[in-house]
Amino acid sequence: MHPTSLMMTSSLIIIFALLIFPVLSTFTPTTKTPDWATTHVKTSIKLSFFISLLPLFIFLNEGAETIITSWTWMNTTCFDINLSLKFDQYSIIFTPIALYVTWSILEFASWYMHADPNMNRFFKYLLIFLISMLILVTANNMFQLFIGWEGVGIMSFLLIGWWSGRADANTAALQAVLYNRVGDIGLIFAMAWMATNLNSWEMQQIFIASKDFDLTFPLLGLILAATGKSAQFGLHPWLPAAMEGPTPVSALLHSSTMVVAGIFLLVRMSPLLENNQIALTTCLCLGALTTLFTATCALTQNDIKKIAAFSTSSQLGLMMVTIGLNQPHLAFLHICTHAFFKAMLFLCSGAIIHSLNDEQDIRKMGGLHHLTPFTSSCLTIGSLALTGTPFLAGFFSKDAIIEALNTSHLNAWALTLTLLATSFTAIYSLRVVFFVSMGHPRFNSLSPINENNKSLINPIKRLAWGSIIAGLILTSNMLPLKTPIMTMTPLLKLAALIVTVIGLLLALELASLTSKQHQTSPNLALHHFSNMLGFFPSIIHRFSPKINLMLGQLIANQLVDQTWLEKVGPKAITTFNLPLIITTSNSQQGLIKTYLAFFLLTITLAIILTMS
Amino acid sequence: MATAYLTHQQKVLRLYKKSLRHLESWCIFRDKYRFYACMMRARFDDSKEEKDLMKASMMLKAGEEEFWTNQHPQPYIFPESPGGTSYERYECYKVPEWALDHWHPSEKAQYPDYFSKREQWKQLRMQSWDKEAKKNNFKKHNMQLQTSPMTSTCDVMENL
Repeated sequence: MHPTSLMMTSSLIIIFALLIFPVLSTFTPTTKTPDWATTHVKTSIKLSFFISLLPLFIFLNEGAETIITSWTWMNTTCFDINLSLKFDQYSIIFTPIALYVTWSILEFASWYMHADPNMNRFFKYLLIFLISMLILVTANNMFQLFIGWEGVGIMSFLLIGWWSGRADANTAALQAVLYNRVGDIGLIFAMAWMATNLNSWEMQQIFIASKDFDLTFPLLGLILAATGKSAQFGLHPWLPAAMEGPTPVSALLHSSTMVVAGIFLLVRMSPLLENNQIALTTCLCLGALTTLFTATCALTQNDIKKIAAFSTSSQLGLMMVTIGLNQPHLAFLHICTHAFFKAMLFLCSGAIIHSLNDEQDIRKMGGLHHLTPFTSSCLTIGSLALTGTPFLAGFFSKDAIIEALNTSHLNAWALTLTLLATSFTAIYSLRVVFFVSMGHPRFNSLSPINENNKSLINPIKRLAWGSIIAGLILTSNMLPLKTPIMTMTPLLKLAALIVTVIGLLLALELASLTSKQHQTSPNLALHHFSNMLGFFPSIIHRFSPKINLMLGQLIANQLVDQTWLEKVGPKAITTFNLPLIITTSNSQQGLIKTYLAFFLLTITLAIILTMS
Repeated sequence: MATAYLTHQQKVLRLYKKSLRHLESWCIFRDKYRFYACMMRARFDDSKEEKDLMKASMMLKAGEEEFWTNQHPQPYIFPESPGGTSYERYECYKVPEWALDHWHPSEKAQYPDYFSKREQWKQLRMQSWDKEAKKNNFKKHNMQLQTSPMTSTCDVMENL
C-alpha cells in the first residue's frame, strides 16, 4: 500500500480510536479520579489534534484525499450501507480546526466547571458530541451523516439542559430538540427521495446518478434541514435559548461546530445545488433575511451570551447567502475562520461572567479593561475579527463573500440586506466592547478579579492566535474552486469596509449618547421590536399553541360533547317528541267517568251489532 | 400580621421601587440614573401629602399605567432572583437528607464519624420537634397539617 494513503488512513483511524477510548472506559465500573476529565479527555483531544495535523500536511503537500470504506454494514442486492469515511478537502481541514477549538474549550472548561460535582460527566458529554460531529463531517454516505446529525442534536439537548433543576434550561433544551426535529423532517425526506430515486446513499453515486433528475424537492428538504440545524429564520429561536447551557457548551456547540453542521451539509451537497436555481435562490433569500433579522435582534440585547448567539446566527445567515451565491468553498472558509473568533468571544464572555459571579448583563459590567486586560483585549480582537477588520481571520472569508455578492448578477435585495447586517455587526460588537471593557465598573467589588490561571489564559491565547492568522493560513493553502472576479470598481471592493466603518461611527455616536441626558421618552417601537426578538417567539410559542388548544377545546367541548352527544342525540329526540307529547296530553281532559261511559257504550254497541 | 390585601402605602412603595429598577435598566450609567432617580423621587414626594384616599388611588392608578407604558422589555434581574440567569441552577444538586439512608455501606464507610452519630441525631431531632413546634406556635396556623414526618395524626390531635 502506498505510504501516503497508509499514513492518512491510519492517522485518521487512530484519531477516532483516541477519542472513543475515554468514552468506553467510562463503561467500566471503576470510579474515575476527580481529574479524569483533564488527564484523560483533554489529553486525548490534544493528541488527536496533533495527529490530525499529519493528514492535513499530507493534503496540503500532495493534495491527497482518501475514502475509507471499512465495514459493509447493511447490504442488500441493490442497496448498500457501509461504514465509510471520506477525508476530502473539507473534512481534512475542518477536523484539526474542530479538535483545536475543542482542546481550548476543554481546557477552559476545566477552570469554568471546576466546582461542578459532575465535571467528569460533562467532559464525557462534550467528547461524545465531538465524536458525533466528526462522524457527521467525515461521512461518505447519508446514513452515517444522519447518525452524526442526530448524535449532535441529542448531545446538544443533554448539554443545554445540564443544570436540569432550572426550568428555563429544560425549556430551552426541549426547544432545541423540537426545532431540530422539524429540520430533520427535511433531511429524512431528502434521504428517502435519494434512496428511492437514486438507489443509493453513497455521496459519489448520488452526485453521478442525479444528473438527469429534477432535484428541487430533495434540495428543499436539505435546505429545511439546514434551516433547523443552523438556526435560519423561521427555525432560529432555539439558538439564543440555548445559551441556558454552560458557557463551554455555548462556545463549542452553538458557535463553532454543531450549528455549522447544516451549512456543512449544504457544502457537501453543493454539486447537487449548483444547477438548481430555485434552491440557490431560496438559500440566498433565506440567508439574507436571517442575517439581517438576527443582527437587528442583537442590537438591543443586554445579555452578553445572547448577543454572541445572535451574532452566530447572523454569520450562519451569511454562510447561507454564500451557498446561495454558488460559492461553497467560501462558505467553508467562513465556517473555519468563524470557529476561531466566535469560540474565543464565548470564552472571553465566560471568563468575564465567572469573574463577576455569574453576572451576564452588560449593564452591570464595565471597566474590565483595567481588571482583566488580557480577556478584554482578546474580546476586542475577536470583535474586530468578527466585523471583518482587514487582515484578521474574518476579513479573508467575509470580505471575499461580500465581494462575490457585489459582483454577482443576483438580486440587489439580498445584497442590501447583507450589507446592512454587516454594519449592524459592527454596531453590536462595539456595543459589547463599550459596555464591558470601557468606562467605570457598574458592579460591586465582591470578589478579587484576576486572570492568573493558566487554564484560562492559554486557551484564549491559542484561539487569539487562530483568530489573527487562521484566515491568512487558510487562504494561502486552500485553492478556490471557482475563480473569483478580479476586477471591480473601488466602491464595490471597499463596500464591506465602508459599511463596517459607518456602523462603527454610528455605534460610537450612540454610545456617547448613553451617558448624556437626552429627551426622556424617545420612540420606542423600533427598540421594542429588536429587544423582543421581532416578537417571533411571542407569536410562535404562544399564539399558535393557544389557537391549537382553543380549537381542541372547541372540538372537544362544542362539537363532540354538546353537539354530537347532546343536541343530535337525546336533545333532538326530546325536541321532536315533546310537542307530540304535549299535544296528546293536553288534548286529554281527565274526564275518566265520561271516557269510561263512552267506552262501555261503544263496546256494548259493538257487541250488539256483531250479535245481530 | 400580613393579609391578602395591600395597603396604599405598600402599593405606592412597590410602584416606586419597580419604577426605579426599570429606570436603572434604561439609564445604564450611574450619574445619568442618579439624576433621573432624583427626578422620580421628587415626583413621588410632591404628592405624598395628599390626604384624600380617592385622589391618591387615582394618582396611583395613573402612575401604574405610566409605568406599564414606559417599562423596559428586558429589565435587569439579579442572577439569583427568579427569572435571573442562575436562578435554580443548583437545584439538581440539592439532594434531600433522607437519601443518605440509601447509601451503599461501602460509601458510608468513607465517612465513618458522621454515620456513627447519624442515628443519634435522628432520635434527638424527633424528640425536640414537638418542643420547637410549640415554641413557634406552629400548631395554631397549621391545624390540619401533619406537623412532623414521624408523629402520627393521633398525636397531633391529642396535643391540640
